[in-house]
Amino acid sequence: MSEKFSRRDFLKLAGVGAATSAILTGCGPASRYVKREPYMQMPEYNYNGQSTYYATTCRECAAGCGLIVRTVQGRAIKTEGNAGNPLNLGKTCARGQATLHGLYNPDRVTDPQKRSSRGSGSTQVMDWDAAIQVVADALKNNKPEEIAFLMGMAPDHLFDLVSDLASATGMNAPLRFGALGMFEARATLSKAAENLFGEASLPFFDVGGAQVVFSFGANFLETWLSPVSYTRGFAGLREAKTKMRGKFVQFESRMSQTGGKADEWIPLRPGTEALVALAIGKLASEIRGGAMPRAFENVDPIDTASKSGIKLETLEHLAGMFAGSNGALAIPGGPALGQSNGLAVAEAVLALNAISDNFGKPGGVYLSPLAPNQSEYQRPASAQEMQEFVQKMADGKIKVLFVHGVNPLFELPTALGFGGASKSVSQIISFATFPDETAREADYVFPDHHGLESWGYQRVATGSAQPVLSGAQPVVSPYYNTRATVDVLITAAQLAGGSFASALPFKDEVEFLNGKVSALMGEVDGSISAPDLATFMAYFQQHGGYWKNSDERVAPKAGDALNREISAEEAEFAGEGEFFFVPFVSPTLAEAGANKPWLQELPDPTTTVMWNTWVEMNPETAHELGIENDDVVRIVSEAGELEVPVYLYPAIRPDTIAIPFGQGHTAYGRYAENRGVNPADLLGQHFNEAGDLAFAGMKVKVEKTGVKKPLSRLESIMGVYGIGLGEEH
Amino acid sequence: MAYDKKHAEHAPAGRHNGHSEEHLREKHLMLDPLPRGQMNDMVMESMLEKPTWKYWLVVGILSFIVVYFLFYKWSILIMKGQGEAGVMRPDYWGIFLVNTVFWIGISHAGTFISAILRVFRAEFRRPFTRAAELMTTFGLVQAGFSIFMHMGRVWLAYWLMPYPNQRMLWPNLHSPLTWDLLAITTYLLSSTMYLFLPLIPDVAMARDRSTGWRKTFYKTLALGFRGTEGEWTHLRNAMNIFAFAIIPVMFSVHTIVSWDFAAATRPGWSSTIFGPYFIVGALHSGMGAAIVVLAVIRGTMKHMKYFIRAEHFDAIGKLMLIISMAWAYFFFNDYMVQWYGGDKWTQQLLHFHEAGPMGWMWFAMLICNVAIPWAILWNPKWRATPWLVGTVGIIINVGMWFERYIIIPISVTINRMPFTWRLYEPGIEVPMGIGTVALFILLYMIASKLIPLIPVWEVQEGQMAHELKKFGRETVVSVSELE
Amino acid sequence: MVTLSDLKISEVKLGEEQTGKWGMVIDQDICTGCQACVAACAMENNITFVGEEDSGYGRSMHWIRIERFWEGEYPEVKMTANQPMLCQQCGHATCEPVCPAFATVHSQAEQLNLQVYNRCVGTRYCANNCPYQVRSFNWRDYQRPEPLPNQFNPDVTVRRMGVMEKCTFCIQRIHKAQDKAKSEGREVADGEFTTACAQACPANAITFGRVDDPESMVSQLAKRSHGVKHLEELGTLPNVTYFKGG
Repeated sequence: MSEKFSRRDFLKLAGVGAATSAILTGCGPASRYVKREPYMQMPEYNYNGQSTYYATTCRECAAGCGLIVRTVQGRAIKTEGNAGNPLNLGKTCARGQATLHGLYNPDRVTDPQKRSSRGSGSTQVMDWDAAIQVVADALKNNKPEEIAFLMGMAPDHLFDLVSDLASATGMNAPLRFGALGMFEARATLSKAAENLFGEASLPFFDVGGAQVVFSFGANFLETWLSPVSYTRGFAGLREAKTKMRGKFVQFESRMSQTGGKADEWIPLRPGTEALVALAIGKLASEIRGGAMPRAFENVDPIDTASKSGIKLETLEHLAGMFAGSNGALAIPGGPALGQSNGLAVAEAVLALNAISDNFGKPGGVYLSPLAPNQSEYQRPASAQEMQEFVQKMADGKIKVLFVHGVNPLFELPTALGFGGASKSVSQIISFATFPDETAREADYVFPDHHGLESWGYQRVATGSAQPVLSGAQPVVSPYYNTRATVDVLITAAQLAGGSFASALPFKDEVEFLNGKVSALMGEVDGSISAPDLATFMAYFQQHGGYWKNSDERVAPKAGDALNREISAEEAEFAGEGEFFFVPFVSPTLAEAGANKPWLQELPDPTTTVMWNTWVEMNPETAHELGIENDDVVRIVSEAGELEVPVYLYPAIRPDTIAIPFGQGHTAYGRYAENRGVNPADLLGQHFNEAGDLAFAGMKVKVEKTGVKKPLSRLESIMGVYGIGLGEEH
Repeated sequence: MAYDKKHAEHAPAGRHNGHSEEHLREKHLMLDPLPRGQMNDMVMESMLEKPTWKYWLVVGILSFIVVYFLFYKWSILIMKGQGEAGVMRPDYWGIFLVNTVFWIGISHAGTFISAILRVFRAEFRRPFTRAAELMTTFGLVQAGFSIFMHMGRVWLAYWLMPYPNQRMLWPNLHSPLTWDLLAITTYLLSSTMYLFLPLIPDVAMARDRSTGWRKTFYKTLALGFRGTEGEWTHLRNAMNIFAFAIIPVMFSVHTIVSWDFAAATRPGWSSTIFGPYFIVGALHSGMGAAIVVLAVIRGTMKHMKYFIRAEHFDAIGKLMLIISMAWAYFFFNDYMVQWYGGDKWTQQLLHFHEAGPMGWMWFAMLICNVAIPWAILWNPKWRATPWLVGTVGIIINVGMWFERYIIIPISVTINRMPFTWRLYEPGIEVPMGIGTVALFILLYMIASKLIPLIPVWEVQEGQMAHELKKFGRETVVSVSELE
Repeated sequence: MVTLSDLKISEVKLGEEQTGKWGMVIDQDICTGCQACVAACAMENNITFVGEEDSGYGRSMHWIRIERFWEGEYPEVKMTANQPMLCQQCGHATCEPVCPAFATVHSQAEQLNLQVYNRCVGTRYCANNCPYQVRSFNWRDYQRPEPLPNQFNPDVTVRRMGVMEKCTFCIQRIHKAQDKAKSEGREVADGEFTTACAQACPANAITFGRVDDPESMVSQLAKRSHGVKHLEELGTLPNVTYFKGG
């Protein structure tokens, strides 16, 4: 296409009328070749007082929700959910709303930087040509097997590009990792699916269609897998329009935001989830009659009751509830899987669904459909795989490490030793948008655009009945001197020559994207179709992606899910100490929200605390220990210790304490730095059979420090807890 | 139309037997006349006396407090916003409004003493009407300052005044704050005029006895008053009109202040008895403040022991006792009205007052306002001891400040949304409040050097009207009606 | 005995327009407390953040907050249904008559409680008198460092220090929809637009629309028997209906 070809001409060609505020604008690939105007000059398709809306993909977590971003005169003003995207149907979570505070964050990396020494704050601004030369040299001057890519969880176009590059050149295959995946225990879930159904995939739980939902630790209303989609499912469960209001029971030792919505909250002893699931299965099978499945044979409900701390009557009542419903659904997830017996828990809970025979039925368990341009399920790296990688780094087998979209120094437990191992890596190049901990330990930072300034696509791993490929396009011109990492890699590969150049024979990112997306043009049943690539791409951007029109969820083959032995072993806990330790992901901050001031100011849904980290402790226990609200305590595990103020939380087991993950940054901008603590510092190197970290498998000690640090709460401690009202004696 | 009156009401221990003429003269200013020239000189001397280093020290300290605590801190407050103070959700009103109500309360005694006692011809009022009237004006200045401190955008305060403007934007006459503003403005203007009218003969006297800039100053203030019969008639008429007219204004001001709270939809505030309760409270603190002022004037200024005597402390002490009883009655009444309302939030609030973290203040209020005044003021001897009654006055003012603190920031802690309850922690209000106290004292100290604090003509008029007559061995006080 | 609600009926009979126009229905049973509405509201309405110290001292600027309480003792403890609390846009608002400057006024056209920022002098009487405690005051000039202000919504005034603010039912969206409908010669259709909170809510717990149109979604929902209005006994005629939990 010619240089003079403007976006306007392009859109005419694409058959899209002049932009009105209601029409979504396809920021077609051709606009790549339009010279970017200075910010003060109004971009095309902007009229005074009129908004322009762009469809793109939310990059705040890996779920891949579609966004519509309202822009006015070249500024992004507001994000809304893309109503067309089958994943989120026009909805967003709080993090999606606050993504603009990332885009316009005052602490972004503004230019490519060379760091004088790792960990130091002094950097030298480079120009992009020099930066790309650094990348090219890194590729060229090292053996391919000594080059590694560490990436965020999202299965996006950059991951595809690096995967292609790796397979063509013999580089290490890129590793995708994120703390969310670690705390979700994704690997365990897909491993359990593989063991039970013979297919490694993410199960999809149709909460909306169910009548009774038993969730074993799955925090599906918070950060688990695809929170917006699961929240919609939850609303469907409760909606009393067409059916009875569905019941919801949550099994967990600390009431999560999800557990707070449960009709019945069952505080079982950590580690006994598998036992409880099997006991309920046994009791339910007894109620249903027929032969007792093998899986439940060896479980003794009375013994289970004493081990789990749940009364036998309660177990019987729950079993009756489960057996008595036509649409009972059991979901494993969260801390329940992040224990030494996590895989057994996942299998036991998944197997429970066999009682209500809901596999592949509405209100039951499905396997998530593969995204449109995906041939097989790709799981992010488990913590154990990360540990192996860290070991490789420590052994000096990695000479060059590229990091993009992940902050391993913050997200990986310190005990896994990434920080120490990185010293054995001769060159670390970060593509971070924000000056995070890992970027500070990198030799170079070559900042990628913010998600709202970038092109791309992202495969939706789960959450939608239809296969979805969410499309991304820039909604504003890049605000800083940043450059798309795909472009950097393409140019650097060509400079590096050889197999690198031939692996990435693209002019730029758009050409690469075109190539990837064009494969979908011929497919039937797609949401968009067009006779030529340019039009297809325009539609792709305009609608925010491509998805199949039909439900392609896979019914799991689970004929003998219950006819196999399932271990009912209790979990083992590492470390000395009187308290079970439950780290959980902050529902509002998640792993990367701490630098967005409005996310910091959102009250935590369960405690209403803002701007800090707290440890939740049962008031009775605290009373016995002489601990009060806002007392700073020292939590000691085998792996480390940290000091954090106490929140007396009425809905946590007396033998359990919980700390949210999300704060405790030592870098990452003014709003995140030196605020709160990171519970990952307490986690040791213990894994379950699926390779996920046994993050909920620790026991810790609590020591008083005598210091007080008032937590910033939205709630009134007087009005909610009656403290300081004069009610007490 | 002269008539004799067996006077008993204003003389303590008014038993005539066994009281010699000398004794009566010593006791009662009205019966202890001095030559007019001498008395005028005494007042001039007390005013013109060269200030001692102590005076300058106190003025210096007070000026520093006013400049730093009041004006500097205020500029900080204006620049940085109300966040410097302790206000927040749900305590949107804090000490600034406590001080507003407090100072308006103080200002009440001035009018009460001067106007009501004048209307009822209570003779003991004569030497201290001026000091009391000054208290009204100076107190209102502090109240006004406190209101302006409270406003989020004080530079737009003039929007609350009904001034003609192109956009036809007027203040909202539905709002108790607008009533308040109008009432306080009216009160400030009328009380200032009421202060000024009786001052005319005294400044005329001072004009005739001074030179230099003072001469010009008094000449300007005296408006050419020469003491002719016509001038006196006009002046008396004007003073009479004001004395009567200002009484309803006074009552309206504090009832309207109480409506700021009583008209609101809040537990603890929407109390039907707030009007009289506030009036009595205002008199309580005002009387307390007046007695402190008298004690200080008597103790520090030359010749003042002649003008202000034990009989005055005794008389005001009696008033204080009565008012304290009335306050206790209305406090109880208010509690009953609220308690019988049965609203669960109000019940919660009443409990919170006593048993909450600020319960000590609630009990301290009752001790300061009721227990201590009752324990001390019943005794005629103690009542006539200036320092003791002055101390009680201070204690009552502390108690009354507590009362306002309980009504405002403590009460708004409890509302109908328990999720928002929060306890108020004052910030910059405290130094600024101290600043208003300092300014109040400073204004008095300056005034004591500029205008006669004793209305000499009024004392002389009273002394002319009083006379001791002998009927046989009996000495009898006779008072003749002057008008 | 005459009750407040009787008085309310008699007022309506007197012919005053008290029915309201825009209203909201919030289903607490499906509200998950996820704070998406809070974030969406902040982004749409240029609401400032205040930092740790001030937010912990009751000075946060949230126009909508989610309240939750506890029932029972462990282990039978229950979190009460999340209760999003925002301006109820009362038909007979207690905040309105007390403002001395007419900064808090009733919109006759939209039947909403308006806050006129540039008329507000900061007496904070309205906030004191709001039984729902949903007004927030700009206690300071909260700084939003560059380039955060790029995100400001040009349709919404940026408030400065000393000014009261509160939920507007996204009146800028109402006006935009009305202008558009007018230019196309039609009425605003039900569901054509919604408030930022309702649009974001992943559970669809918030429904917004015309309460004076019996056919609208919000009117249909509000008819459900278990709907309650908060502090209705005060005669404030709130326009937000709540469905309590389960």
